[in-house]
Amino acid sequence: MKRRQGWAIRLLVSVGVIAVGIAAIASVSMASSAATGTVRVAVMSDCKGAFGFAQELGIGGAQTAFAQFAKGKVRNKKKPSAGMTGITAGGKNVNIVGYGCGDDTPATALKEVRRLMQQLKADVLVGPLSGDEAVAIANWVKPRPTKTVIIGTAGSQDPTLQIAPKNLFRYHGDGAQWNAGIGEIVYKKLGWRNAAIIMDDYSFGWTSGAGIIADFCAIGGKITKRVFPPLNTTDYSSYIRQLPKPGDVDGYFWVVGGTGTGPALKAFEQAYGPIDAKQHSGNLFLWFLTGKDDVAPRMIGAYVGGFGTAPGLKGVTAVNQYRAFVAKTYPGLPSDDGFFYNYYQGARALIEGLNQSNGEVGVRLQANLPRSIFAPFELSDNGKVKLDSNRQAVQDQWPVQIIKGKDGGPAITLTGYVPNVDQTFGGLFTKNSPAPGRTQPACVKKKLPWQGKIRVVKDGIVTKQILK
Amino acid sequence: MTLSSTKALVERTIGVGVLVLALLAPVLVSDFWLDTVLTQTFILGIGAASLVFLSAYGGMISLAQAGLMGIAGYALGNMVTQNVPGGETKGLLLGWNPSLAVVLAILLTVGLGFIFGAVASRSFGIYFLMLTLTYSVIAYLFVSQVTQVGGFSPIAGVDEYTPGFIGDVVNDRQRLYYVALGVAIVIYGLIRYLVRTPFGISLQGIRDEPSRMASLGYNVALHRTLAFGIGAFVAAIGGVLFAWWSGQLSPSNIGLAATIELLVIAVIGGLGRIEGAWLGAFAYIVINNEVTNRIPSDGLPVIGGTFNTVIGIVFLAIVIASPDGLVGIWDRIWDLARSREPKQPAAEASAAG
Repeated sequence: MKRRQGWAIRLLVSVGVIAVGIAAIASVSMASSAATGTVRVAVMSDCKGAFGFAQELGIGGAQTAFAQFAKGKVRNKKKPSAGMTGITAGGKNVNIVGYGCGDDTPATALKEVRRLMQQLKADVLVGPLSGDEAVAIANWVKPRPTKTVIIGTAGSQDPTLQIAPKNLFRYHGDGAQWNAGIGEIVYKKLGWRNAAIIMDDYSFGWTSGAGIIADFCAIGGKITKRVFPPLNTTDYSSYIRQLPKPGDVDGYFWVVGGTGTGPALKAFEQAYGPIDAKQHSGNLFLWFLTGKDDVAPRMIGAYVGGFGTAPGLKGVTAVNQYRAFVAKTYPGLPSDDGFFYNYYQGARALIEGLNQSNGEVGVRLQANLPRSIFAPFELSDNGKVKLDSNRQAVQDQWPVQIIKGKDGGPAITLTGYVPNVDQTFGGLFTKNSPAPGRTQPACVKKKLPWQGKIRVVKDGIVTKQILK
Repeated sequence: MTLSSTKALVERTIGVGVLVLALLAPVLVSDFWLDTVLTQTFILGIGAASLVFLSAYGGMISLAQAGLMGIAGYALGNMVTQNVPGGETKGLLLGWNPSLAVVLAILLTVGLGFIFGAVASRSFGIYFLMLTLTYSVIAYLFVSQVTQVGGFSPIAGVDEYTPGFIGDVVNDRQRLYYVALGVAIVIYGLIRYLVRTPFGISLQGIRDEPSRMASLGYNVALHRTLAFGIGAFVAAIGGVLFAWWSGQLSPSNIGLAATIELLVIAVIGGLGRIEGAWLGAFAYIVINNEVTNRIPSDGLPVIGGTFNTVIGIVFLAIVIASPDGLVGIWDRIWDLARSREPKQPAAEASAAG
């Protein structure tokens, strides 16, 4: 009798375990099943790490486009991540299923893209924000043709040139494109012939530096030294000592990330004395210098690469309309900031694509995503940014100069207009060429498509005067 | 039937039930659950099992296991990926045979594991912990600073180059799931077998009384080194599977966060029993996914914070309530039942016998 009871208990336990397990797993499985009849979109930016400050900028940029072109209703004008309702495109409701939170590392980006696109079943991702995240996501989405990624603001070259999956689109320039024209400017205006470059040792640093090297060398300059501090370096002294002394080169290009810019320049001053702005140039990271960095005032006058936007551009109707709409939608957010603007353009393209595909996603959407699209800060081709065969934007660029702002601290002003910058730099970068790295690209004299065509910008107005 | 044998029977029944569920999982759960939750559970569980093995049977809490997993993954990634048009862009891109690369990656990791183990074998407690943490930091700095083997950017496309007997794990995720499940079962069985061998018994003796074992003539350092090498072997297999599952490897898969992640998994599951590794991995991954989806973008109400805050609270609660993790709670329930069981008088018992 006891033996029978024992068997009954065992049977009961085993059936119970299996039943509870099936119920638990099935309930989770059912809960995550997708609703039909809606387009599921995710927006991913960074909420942690070096670019954590830009989360609301990216989401705000995307949702401004949803509000302008797809009837989206803002939930909170001060906080884009509070969400948006009522988005419709191509006859379907567009549901933002989640916001991704990156920290500029590939591992977190992968975790987030799996969560957003597999668990929450997003059909389209607008994002990510930074270079290596985009490399990781481009590789992830490559074997998943039904998913579509429109890059938010990432500047690495690989996603659209070397990896280039057919379901990945970028409606803004990469980090190299953003720097088009800066080499020619320092060559012509400051007389640089030999220069050293110090750049972050990761894909965005390499790509951004590649643009400077290519542009400067193309016109006849020589890069005599390349130095690579690891990302997130805080003490730059040993890397500064690897640079040639002032006098051995005409100038230095700085491609040292956001929070590292100030400490790197200070380390330079400690090694070689006060900075002379005419000997220093660099990429958009120099934009982030503020009055809080005591070295910042001495950088006033330096020429700096762009971010694909034209801060302070005047006299363009499309720009004025765009700024007015941003001010109405999210009053506190900066319309001319690249983190905001690039997400705006990506989301705008998505809405156009959905309208064309009648709300169909996957391959249909990819075929219908626009190959040219109106962009406020684009003057070439009647204000349209074109995509190349790798679905990468060919875009006007806007180098800037650091000036003394109204509050006495450093500010930036447009200094040049570089028309129609393509990702290949006129064939220098190709699908088969190695991705930018410590030794890539080589310093080569070459005729770039925009060489000799840079127009001077004065007080926010593009003049007809060619840079000499 | 005694309570101990009943417990063993119930555990076996649960084990069979879980195995049946695991085998049926592809028809029971969504693709996301299968791929991201369950497959990852088996893989991270293997990594955690290497830590639990060292801790439970060798008395060594190693912080090097995530680093060893990463070394195997990076070695594999560098060996198999190729420099072809539209191919990968980072790493050495050697394009070697995937089967050979798997063997070499595991051998390299085990070799390093023996070296690491030999250096750390005479250290105990906090010193052992710090030494093994150093190994992980060295591995992290190596792969992130030596850009030829990867750098800060991910080595990608590792999952496109699997041995023929593994097949296409990019498009057939069920295949990878069953591979991970099978390997996890083999690793579990291997460790259970190993700890019953003379080596395993003496290792447990060294765990409890290293001085006494040394005085009995056992080579304590050699036993600990061998155990560390075995732990490296298990971690290397986990690393290879992780590389196939993720398809990409970046320094953050090796860094401090990954090291702590594996330790948290092992502690949540329980450092005292090998089953805890997979239980902890399952709990950690489920909490990770579910909490991330439910927390508002600006953090938890009142206390703020995100997933790390939640997992930190869970970690604290488990450490306080049950230092032996979730498996420990199970054991305590049975201990409680045993303590309430009426004791039979010895005389009665002997008369009955």
